[in-house]
Amino acid sequence: MAEPAYTVASDSETTGEEKSSSAFPEIAIGIDIGTSQCSVAAWNGSQVEILKNTRNQKMMRSYVTFKDEVPSGGVSNQLSQMKKSKTLPSLCPMKKGKFGVRRGMNRVAQNLDPYCLCSPDATSEHRTLQFESYSLYPQERPSLFVASVSRMAEPAYTVASDSETTGEEKSSSAFPEIAIGIDIGTSQCSVAAWNGSQVEILKNTRNQKMMRSYVTFKDEVPSGGVSNQLSHESEMLSGAAIFNMKRLIGRVDTDPVVHSSKSLPFLVQTLDIGVRPFIAALVNNAWRSTTPEEVLAIYLVELRAMAELALKRPIRNVVLTIPVSFSRFQVTRIERACAMAGLHVLRLMPEPTAVALLYAQQQQQCVHENMGSGSEKIALIFNMGAGYSDVAVTATAGGVSQIKSLAGSAIGGEDILQNMIRHLLPDSDILFSNHGINEIKAMGLLRVATQDAIHKLSSQTSVQIDVDLGNGSKICKVVHQEEFQEVNGKVFEKCESLIIQCLRDAKVDPEDVADVITVGGCSNIPKVKNLVMSVCKRQELYKGMNPLEAAVIGAALEGAVASGINDPFGSLDLLTIQVTPLALGIQADGNSFVPVIPRNTTMPARKELVFTTVRDNQTEALIVVYEGEGKTVEDNHLLGYFKLTGIPPAPKGVPEINVCMDIDASNVLRVFAGVVLPGSKNPPIPFMEVRMPTVDDGHGWCAEALQRTYGSRLDLVTVQKKI
Amino acid sequence: MISTSSSLSSSVNFFGPKVVILNGRASSPRSLQFRSTPRISASCASTAERTASHISLISPSASLYEVLGIPMGATCQEIKSAYRRLAREVHPDVVANGQRSQTSAGEFIKVHEAYATLSDPDRRADYDRLLCGVRQTASYPMAASRHRATMASRFAGHSRRTWETDQCW
Repeated sequence: MAEPAYTVASDSETTGEEKSSSAFPEIAIGIDIGTSQCSVAAWNGSQVEILKNTRNQKMMRSYVTFKDEVPSGGVSNQLSQMKKSKTLPSLCPMKKGKFGVRRGMNRVAQNLDPYCLCSPDATSEHRTLQFESYSLYPQERPSLFVASVSRMAEPAYTVASDSETTGEEKSSSAFPEIAIGIDIGTSQCSVAAWNGSQVEILKNTRNQKMMRSYVTFKDEVPSGGVSNQLSHESEMLSGAAIFNMKRLIGRVDTDPVVHSSKSLPFLVQTLDIGVRPFIAALVNNAWRSTTPEEVLAIYLVELRAMAELALKRPIRNVVLTIPVSFSRFQVTRIERACAMAGLHVLRLMPEPTAVALLYAQQQQQCVHENMGSGSEKIALIFNMGAGYSDVAVTATAGGVSQIKSLAGSAIGGEDILQNMIRHLLPDSDILFSNHGINEIKAMGLLRVATQDAIHKLSSQTSVQIDVDLGNGSKICKVVHQEEFQEVNGKVFEKCESLIIQCLRDAKVDPEDVADVITVGGCSNIPKVKNLVMSVCKRQELYKGMNPLEAAVIGAALEGAVASGINDPFGSLDLLTIQVTPLALGIQADGNSFVPVIPRNTTMPARKELVFTTVRDNQTEALIVVYEGEGKTVEDNHLLGYFKLTGIPPAPKGVPEINVCMDIDASNVLRVFAGVVLPGSKNPPIPFMEVRMPTVDDGHGWCAEALQRTYGSRLDLVTVQKKI
Repeated sequence: MISTSSSLSSSVNFFGPKVVILNGRASSPRSLQFRSTPRISASCASTAERTASHISLISPSASLYEVLGIPMGATCQEIKSAYRRLAREVHPDVVANGQRSQTSAGEFIKVHEAYATLSDPDRRADYDRLLCGVRQTASYPMAASRHRATMASRFAGHSRRTWETDQCW
């Protein structure tokens, strides 16, 4: 990863919990990660000392064994016989990258700075496990090491917090850490936390609850909307600031959402081959590249620092809200950004389900005596922000919010804004696509003026737009409400269809809906309110919550509940029963997508389907896992693939290939596949357990590469649904 | 019907040996039972890992009504409120901080499947007919789900997000 995120991360660290230790310069330790053995040494004040593990060893075998539920490495684990390391299949040389050296880990491993890694490529996540074990050592200043390890993968978090309780943070360990709620909006962000009796929305130093979502690179150190104050809206549109990162994160350059971002003031370049888009900010007249994850991480670091300041405690656990339509791949990018910012994601909640939780709490407070009586209220929640629209139908009673169905799409205020800009200046896409200095300026002016006009149309029937683009062209136009609705007809149609689909999936008639809740920035648009009311056959909307704050409050509630906080007044007697927003399945019957876990399945879930071979004596089967709603695999997100080998030769259709998908309580997806021959009792080969997603950056590429390599032969190795 | 039976039998074969490891009980007789009576079987629920709660009091061959702790004639309202009450006992989010998070996912799946069947009038009628026919030894194919529940616990070591979190990077 590029430097700034880390710079910011370490900056905030010194201002935060670790201030006490900053009086001493931190002495970097040396690690030699060998293919066969590892060792660690540190300057002890007068000379270098090689550190020993608890078994008094200086040199430790380099391996990680997976034989127990929790993997353990050669630092903490003792082999009963040295020979075993050669014979046990679970042991393997890590440096050779049998499990793959992952670039992402490399980036996070840089967080180890200033610890020097003298290995040629200190990247494998398996090695980080060894670091983790080290953090248990009674070293001189373990907390230093722990703190940096804690920026790494999660077991590190587990271990780190274990050892932390023995260290400097003992005082706080008496209380369970309450996870805070963060609502990362496309346009605005907010943070809330349970303060012991209720949820409080945190404010930044400028007393703002809602902060613009952007990071500007104009200075040496990037700064985000949490700490930075815009002198004027157009400052965000100078090309130096990256915004709308939530629309870009985890998307490949063939995605229409990425393409629609090309007219933004910063640079979004696509090659249309299914790799990640090139994103850059204008810094000192040069385009400086970045990634949505990095931008989000920088922003989250600021949010974290702000929350730590407001709550006067270190923050590690967070509950984040995400759009319903996010794929599991996008979720991993969000988690990655959080890890870079030193945050541990306790839960990711689809935005409307966070609102549903707040609704459940409000209902419980209204009718406390009704608890457990079984009388439930159905609510429909429509959330439309700048980037995404989501719908949820929830059945609420006794503090339990049972999500019946979810629906979502990447349409939002940004689409409305771009439609209007195109309406006002038909060739704007071409004009702005070359990103000249003057064009960027003109685009910024037009964007601000259009945004302003849209806001005004929420309260008036027509608006006068008057903008001088500075390049000789002027736009003077009166836009009426009807015109605005016509220009955005498709957006509103999509909103309607989402609501209708969600009601149908929930098997709920509009008449059965007790409350209709609209939240999000676009819920102020009269047309949006009207369409929601008309689909739900309703005269008015639920009034009990602030449309801009509902999601973050719900996330903070979930944070308190998931942290195990009890409230004497029962305000946290809450539970959300979530469902899967998208179907999960595999490729079978040619290029069909066969769902194993359908959309709107209650989580945690475990489902299985039986498939079979398509050729006589087929010995291999490729299990390609997809997520989405499309009928063919091309319409869905590729999550990963693995090969089942060693299928005993048999006529086609005879072997039973059992594919089981499991979503556990933490929303982790695992795919199991095994073979059974009818009549035989024991499976001929061990079954496979694969955690998804496994595909890396260019996941669009993987699908194409599969097709290119196997082409028409692909059906040789795929399977069909067993009838 | 054929697909159901194959699914059940294979699921037992698929995961069977793992159950042995967990319970110390032989699984092969059970898988044979599945094979001969695919829709009706003694359950393979592992009683060993159950801890004190309503669920733990249910015998392995409990009907869906017993899973929810309601009489056979229960109204739709009663089914719903029983489901919610149990969800608040066994849902992983509720027990995540206790000791039982390892098994709660499986238990919740079981409770939810009982609810899903009984709250749907058609599926409930089918189930009632089946239940009347084979009251003695029987449970519904849900036995399979109970079996899966034990499997879920087999993997429960992963129920926390663990070291794999960053694997897709």
